[in-house]
Amino acid sequence: MSHPLEFEGVALGRLRRRTLAPFESGEQSGDPGFWLNVPEGQVVVALGDESSGVGTLGSVILGFSLVPIGSCRVFGVDLSTLGRRELLSYRRRIGYLPIGDGLLHNLSLRDNVRLPLRYGSNLHLSEIEERTDRILDLLRLTRFSGLRPADANEEERRRAALGRALAFDPKLLVLEEPFSGMTDRSSAELLYAARGDEGPQRGHRTVFITGQSLPGRLVSDIDREIMVVRGQAIEATT
Amino acid sequence: MRRIIASFGRRLARWFARVGALARFCFEAVAAFRTLPGAGRRVSGRVLANQLRFTALEGTGLIVLLSGILSFLVISSAVRQLGSVGATDLIGQLMVVVIVRELGPLLTALAVAGRSGTAIAAELATNSVMGEVRALEAMGIEPLHYLVLPRLTGCIGSVMMLTVVFDGVAILAGQLAAGSNGMSAPQYYSGVLATLTTGDIVLSLAKGLLFGALIGLLPSFQGLSVKQDPTEIPRAVIRATVGSIAMIFVTAAVFVLITGA
Repeated sequence: MSHPLEFEGVALGRLRRRTLAPFESGEQSGDPGFWLNVPEGQVVVALGDESSGVGTLGSVILGFSLVPIGSCRVFGVDLSTLGRRELLSYRRRIGYLPIGDGLLHNLSLRDNVRLPLRYGSNLHLSEIEERTDRILDLLRLTRFSGLRPADANEEERRRAALGRALAFDPKLLVLEEPFSGMTDRSSAELLYAARGDEGPQRGHRTVFITGQSLPGRLVSDIDREIMVVRGQAIEATT
Repeated sequence: MRRIIASFGRRLARWFARVGALARFCFEAVAAFRTLPGAGRRVSGRVLANQLRFTALEGTGLIVLLSGILSFLVISSAVRQLGSVGATDLIGQLMVVVIVRELGPLLTALAVAGRSGTAIAAELATNSVMGEVRALEAMGIEPLHYLVLPRLTGCIGSVMMLTVVFDGVAILAGQLAAGSNGMSAPQYYSGVLATLTTGDIVLSLAKGLLFGALIGLLPSFQGLSVKQDPTEIPRAVIRATVGSIAMIFVTAAVFVLITGA
């Protein structure tokens, strides 16, 4: 049975930027590469220092980087087989919180959260507003929703970025350094919202977190932690 | 000697690569009209409205000022000079050929390139550096749809509208100038209307369309070509402004050659 997210021997040190240039997959490498399966409904954390390659995992999952050695499959689909339009459509099924926040600075926090829905869904405007309100409420952002990112603090921006990632209620959520600069309590709230614990199907979402460290309070809330060392996954705890 | 030739060759190759990338970008931007999803039209429409407000509405004052002063100066001098040789009948022709057909679209485009072209390049370059372009792609939003198409259509619409404003104000200011130099309004307008044809208006608007497309595309390309380094932003803005102005002049010259032939 396929998992929502599968890395098979991905050489993290030899990724390429996706361009229109011809690309040949199936190159061979001496090292075993990065192997990892993320099972459905689990919270898996990959930690490592800057040179470990952990920072490139999000880019691989989103299809920004091509994988010349090994493969990355998301919901059973090998990303190297997708064209540009298919990739854009695929990305709407994945929630992504980039390092920093990636919010659009000329939009309010509310507009940032509803942008993917307004662009990529055929929902009626009232349904979009309703869903946006629900997300803002879940992330305790309602009071600050009119602020532009430049006027909001780091935590509010991070919450808004997570809200945007949750807009389509994705089955898989990829979070890059989501807890840096946040208190333990805020980090726990963020993880709660990310897992989908508030809905009728509690914890239904698969969450893959990358970063350099994890707040101690969250260790008991995750299902699996791996260390990335020189581009390879090493089991830390289970 | 070989080193000099090699260096020249490298520069030439880089230049060709850049021109190729620009051509591909322009082609993809225009082709993106076809792939804009229905829901995306609403979102892009909002960005387009902002672009029209900034470029056309807020730029009207500058165009009125430029057009009024230019026309007043040209027609005042022309009435005095032509009047001394009894050739004031040529004022209408001068107004239509020089101002409506040539200078109107050209100066409008230069003003818009200086005002909005720089803003577009700086904004998109900042978007790139701040990771907003990548964030759009991560949400499944095509940056060409959200960032480039509204700016392209906004610039085309704005330059065309502002060209009409420029020409209208120029004709009115020309009348003031002619009147202050002893030429009657009926004589002035009969000269202008006798020369002005539908072809002149179409040509003026066609230039507006092409110049607007240049101002929409070149700064967008330069802005989005910035990757991560904030120090690239001013360089991208300079390349965008200089490139747009140069291309506007070249295109204007090509128009003169074609219509003259």
